[in-house]
Amino acid sequence: SEMSKDMMPGPYPRTPEERAAAAKKYNMRVEDYQPYPDDGLGYGDYPMLPNKSQYERDPWYQWDQPDMRHNWGEPMHWDFDMYIRNRVDTSPTVVPWHTMRKHFLVFLSTMLIMFGLGAFYPSYRPVGPKQYPFNDLYLERGGDPNKEPPAVIHYEI
Amino acid sequence: MASAPAESAARLYGANRFVSLPAELNADTYDRSPEKRRAEVERLAIRAQLKRQYQLQLNNPNPPAVIEDPALVRWAYAKTQNVYPTFRPTPKTSVLGAVYALGPILFWIFALKADRDRKEKRIQEGKYHRPFSVF
Repeated sequence: SEMSKDMMPGPYPRTPEERAAAAKKYNMRVEDYQPYPDDGLGYGDYPMLPNKSQYERDPWYQWDQPDMRHNWGEPMHWDFDMYIRNRVDTSPTVVPWHTMRKHFLVFLSTMLIMFGLGAFYPSYRPVGPKQYPFNDLYLERGGDPNKEPPAVIHYEI
Repeated sequence: MASAPAESAARLYGANRFVSLPAELNADTYDRSPEKRRAEVERLAIRAQLKRQYQLQLNNPNPPAVIEDPALVRWAYAKTQNVYPTFRPTPKTSVLGAVYALGPILFWIFALKADRDRKEKRIQEGKYHRPFSVF
């Protein structure tokens, strides 16, 4: 592109003048500009913006890009492509997160424990061996039709 | 809980990195000090300048083919070409690199080798029935 090298992100700003220049480059106030901590992870002087998704932005404001809720020239979050409205949403929930997590884990663990118990200690109604009619299917099993089939009685008196 | 201050309600809500605090529980919403208003005015000034630049380009009778967004260009540059120059080997990055990059490779090397050795032993003992399939 036609942008000069000093308009592009650079290394971590060390002096206050570098910080002011970086804040101006990113179109931010000097007080708002906060780079990522210098851990050597490769962020450079990119600003650390609050981790909020685009869903939290005002839906009624006239954004330059309404679907992204983003204005032209506004500094984008490092994880912007994660925080778009099709993906991660950090909007405040009606129920607090720890309550939701607790309810979900209680339900999941109950179901898993019950399924596990049922797998290791199955319990069914008592059954007996299957009883076949016609003298234990004498003719169907290839018995001689001329001979008398052996009598099969499945009950006791 | 109407008598409790909003700060403890915010702590009860427990905003973490998955959800943010609602505006009603955030003390910043109710802060109407002059410093905050001056900050908001300065931010609005920057935003208005940027909007003006964008609208001038947009409503130009001879508009450029693509109105490139410098914030987007910087974001893409920072994520792709600015990582290697600003990377520095530190204890943290070395540990992370070892765990996430070398770890899986070494793990799968040893896991697959152990699995293959066990299968080879079973074949030698004659206990393994080799399945025949064209695929």
